[in-house]
Amino acid sequence: MVVAAVPSELRGACVSVDLSASVGNVKLRGPVLAASGTFGYGTEVPLLDRRALAGMVSKGIFVRARDGTAPPRIAETPSGMLNAIGLQGPGVDALIRDYAPKWAEWDFPVFVNINGESAAEYGELAARLDGVPGVAGFEINISCPNVEQGGLYFGNDPRSAAAVTEAVRKRTRLPVWVKLTPMVSDIGVIARAVEAAGADALCAINTFVGMSMDLNSYQPRLSFRTGGLSGPAIRPLAVHLAHQAARAVRIPVIGVGGIARAEDALEFLVAGCAAVQVGTATFANPRAILDVSDGIASFLEAKGFKSLADLPRYLPRD
Amino acid sequence: MFLLDGAVTGRRQVARGMFVISIEAPEIAASVGAGQFVNLGWSPGPLLRRPFSVYRTDGDRIEIVLKAVGEGTSQLLAMGVGDRLSCLGPLGHGFELPAGLKSVVLISGGLGVAPMPLAARRATALGTRVTWVHGARTSDELCLESDGHEVIWATDDGSKGYAGTAVDAAPDAELVLACGPNRMLAAVADRWPDAMVAVETYMGCGTGVCLGCAVPLTRGGYDRACKEGPVYRAADIEWSSLPSHLNYAVPA
Repeated sequence: MVVAAVPSELRGACVSVDLSASVGNVKLRGPVLAASGTFGYGTEVPLLDRRALAGMVSKGIFVRARDGTAPPRIAETPSGMLNAIGLQGPGVDALIRDYAPKWAEWDFPVFVNINGESAAEYGELAARLDGVPGVAGFEINISCPNVEQGGLYFGNDPRSAAAVTEAVRKRTRLPVWVKLTPMVSDIGVIARAVEAAGADALCAINTFVGMSMDLNSYQPRLSFRTGGLSGPAIRPLAVHLAHQAARAVRIPVIGVGGIARAEDALEFLVAGCAAVQVGTATFANPRAILDVSDGIASFLEAKGFKSLADLPRYLPRD
Repeated sequence: MFLLDGAVTGRRQVARGMFVISIEAPEIAASVGAGQFVNLGWSPGPLLRRPFSVYRTDGDRIEIVLKAVGEGTSQLLAMGVGDRLSCLGPLGHGFELPAGLKSVVLISGGLGVAPMPLAARRATALGTRVTWVHGARTSDELCLESDGHEVIWATDDGSKGYAGTAVDAAPDAELVLACGPNRMLAAVADRWPDAMVAVETYMGCGTGVCLGCAVPLTRGGYDRACKEGPVYRAADIEWSSLPSHLNYAVPA
């Protein structure tokens, strides 16, 4: 549990610092976005002053509705949590009907996190959502099993990752971001493959696959056996992988993984990321995005920078 | 829903290993309903908040009841008067008590006592006759605070009151409200399908976003203990798929 990093008297006080950020052609009013799966469809999140929100990525969606996995779905671990929600969701029709009209009225962009069991399904989602008012672009979750290929994860294989990206790219002119899995031996290989397939930006990284055992039942603590590890426990791993991805490509990288405070976000930005996403931290602190954003502004002001663009980056190219 | 920092104002023991902590949280105290909960965070503390039913309210204060079952609850119990907690609440959909009801039976097991004082207070205010049945394994694990309500005690070992479970000890009524281990609630569902029960699940955000607190439904699919719940019609829950023995329900 991390409490507000910024004293209340400083919140919103840093109007002199330009926090605007760019992710390719996408202009954002700040560098902090809400990460997929931790912000629902943006309609449920209480108590957050949304002026700090540069954008959000929706809960992952499939073409069809999905029930998700049986409980227990979450387990807390040291400085982290495992989750196996199973991409519970209403399906694309309900998303278009119930949520997109609300997004169309908001003053920040909403990206839809898209999922599929085949490259064609990803393409179908992109085609269905392209042009729907309120949909600003896509974040492809390539951490899904490829059912046609025996369940091998799209994101673990450069050809599959590229095929999914291409399938989406062909069906939309909206920005296409690809969220990379950390469960690979060389993230640069995957990053270059999806860049070549037409991705506009990368999000690095998705959760690590983890497991925890219940010493009363002698069973895994999650009914799904494994889950995605998020939270501060993965932050140094995420900073490294986001940096590796950024070195490998020319397109922008959005850093994500364990960010709870402004200093955490700044590490990703200095490591070469164009923007960041905050996820799990919002569970403990519903105002985490505001606190991170205001804290970045305070940091920049204290260091004498006039804008986020002036922040020094450590990004030697491969 | 409010997010506020409140000071711990007191702690008292109510049964073996079971404590009530009171917290200054005026807005929550003024608006919380029976069966609703608060999600508490503190620093330094665990990554996630910890959800607790509001046990009682007293002026500007809320009370929660807990046992040390893990690191989080141990830290909470180590806090002193004046230590501050971040309180998010009131959360969830609590017990609904219709007006004009003649009688209600409240059934609680162990820490399931948590939502009952507010439910009893509300029922009494509505002129509904309250019969409260509270059970535990043995007499010194019974929380004996009854706020003046008629209570039928039940112990598994017969050391106080009825020898057997609270469910077995309970009379029939127009409406049954229950809270306790999920396997106890499954027994409630067998006997009173229309009972309203407050379930326990692991919880992430407490606000409906993370979908971590999934409750399996008989009509298929899941919904959220933190939003649609934690109070459900007993027969609407698919008890065979709801974990009956959460880690934190295991005696310390």
